[in-house]
Amino acid sequence: MAELSDIQNDFIRQEIEEFILKPEERQRLIDLFASASLRMQAIAAALIDGDNETVSNLTRQALAEGVGALEVMDYGLIAGMALVGIKFRENFIFVPEVLSCARAMKAGMAHLEPILSASGIEPVGKVIMGTVKGDLHDIGKNLCIMLLRGAGFEVIDLGVDTPPDKFIDAVEQHGAPLVGMSALLTTTMPNMGKTIEAFIDADLRDSVKIMVGGAPVTQDFADDMGADGYGKDAVACVALAKRLLGLSA
Amino acid sequence: MVEQIPSMTSRQRVLAALRRQPVDRTPVCNPTSIATVELMDLADAPFPDANRQPEFMARLAATGYTELGFDSIMPVFSIIQESSALGCKIQWEQKDNWPTVRMREPIYLKPSDIHIPEDWIEHPDAQCVLKAIRILRREFGEEVAIIGKTMGPWSLGYHTFGVENFLLMSLDSPSDTKYCLDQLKRVTIEFGLAQLEAGADALTLPDHATGDLVSAEYYARYLKDLHQEFAETIPAPLILHICGRTVDRMPYIAETGMAAFHFDSKNSPAEAMAAVNGKIALVGNINNPETLFAKSPEDVRREVYANLEAGVQLIGPECAIPLQTTIENLKEIPKAVKDWHRERTLRNSHHGRIE
Repeated sequence: MAELSDIQNDFIRQEIEEFILKPEERQRLIDLFASASLRMQAIAAALIDGDNETVSNLTRQALAEGVGALEVMDYGLIAGMALVGIKFRENFIFVPEVLSCARAMKAGMAHLEPILSASGIEPVGKVIMGTVKGDLHDIGKNLCIMLLRGAGFEVIDLGVDTPPDKFIDAVEQHGAPLVGMSALLTTTMPNMGKTIEAFIDADLRDSVKIMVGGAPVTQDFADDMGADGYGKDAVACVALAKRLLGLSA
Repeated sequence: MVEQIPSMTSRQRVLAALRRQPVDRTPVCNPTSIATVELMDLADAPFPDANRQPEFMARLAATGYTELGFDSIMPVFSIIQESSALGCKIQWEQKDNWPTVRMREPIYLKPSDIHIPEDWIEHPDAQCVLKAIRILRREFGEEVAIIGKTMGPWSLGYHTFGVENFLLMSLDSPSDTKYCLDQLKRVTIEFGLAQLEAGADALTLPDHATGDLVSAEYYARYLKDLHQEFAETIPAPLILHICGRTVDRMPYIAETGMAAFHFDSKNSPAEAMAAVNGKIALVGNINNPETLFAKSPEDVRREVYANLEAGVQLIGPECAIPLQTTIENLKEIPKAVKDWHRERTLRNSHHGRIE
């Protein structure tokens, strides 16, 4: 079990000290960052700070000097986003800051994706995400996608105003075991239920887990519709996705 | 105290409550839409026509007073009228859904793109609101409060730049963001003044700096002064509307000089009352998706009573209600308010007290 002082990067040490209050999460992050190289800690720190240029530069340098793409992803980018997610959940930061961190993550991933793809490295899971038919709001869905990607998932984003058959086609095309649906409007919430019914009609319901979320959606509503899970926010969405796919937290 | 006040008209009741003056009973007020599919059928005024044709808009809005017994009429069922007038692409939808701005297709990419045509208010979707207010004022005279709606610059920023772009700009460049808000506020003020001239008694001013998206510090940094400016510039009671968790910014909101804050059920009535500390009236906060949409009149009544016990000055749904909400649940709000006052009067008379 590592100590906070085992983390060399000052910024990350301060961030953990100030913002990570739950003992088990604190220890998990301390262990994670203490096992990361100083270079990976620097990438994570830049990501937490929302500095996309530095993340991009450090990632490029690390790869050029022989660091593995997987190491950069796990110990730089995903580790950094894990801390960002907790800060967001606890209201230490809000959506603008998360958007900025996600932009930094994307800047790093732009260097990693071609390498990971060429080497056949599999993501931790594959998720289809979309805002349901009739609803054009996507900030909640996009936050979920950012944090899912930040946790190592491959996400196929169907965008907004997504009819049921588009969800079904995407599951069939990508072989994804998990679907996430979002709605911001009370008028469009019922379209989640209609999409679930469409999966039943297409004889695909048993081969896919379905999670739902959005400001007006509740656990009761999710249960009534027959969803497999409800996430109250983007951080809960990541935990739910892991649980539904049988992955460790 | 309350029962000694002579009987008031709905309009008098709402306006007095917005000024935090004594009322004969707590008014039932809807700063946002209470249109439903049932009411559309009743008035033969369905969406999308009721969002674009003044006669339809007025007819549907009037049902809030004539059919449901609310003390106010609010004819703007969506948040997109002025954004449409500015050139945003709108998905108008059908009877069972609200119109929405296509925010993935923003009309402004950078602050210098902001161009507000001199005659933007002549656009049919802005004029529709003004004409509907004139119709309602003509029809109802001084009987009922007519509440207009003018969107705040933060919400207009979401619509015109796209939510993510606007929020990222707010972090990357506070000066650009302030510039944008300063440009867009012209729409808020002009539309507000035009609605007052058309006959509105008060205005809802939605400006979605919600705790679900941004911090209380953001509200203080970007919006508090602007909202204060609106309260000083627009000569009518303003009802600020922000959805979601907002109790952390209520102390700032209470300092703006606005008449009222329309608050969400994510904030309890008691904590909201404590947060504003008597400096602004509160309107709210009957839960929409769970209670009004999905539960029974008894559950609605329980929430109405909780608000009244906490001292909330105007009772109403927390936000635009789901279009499939039943009339039965909506009618329960004024019914419960009247019953609560009756029960209190009886209780007090048993104890030999006159309030």
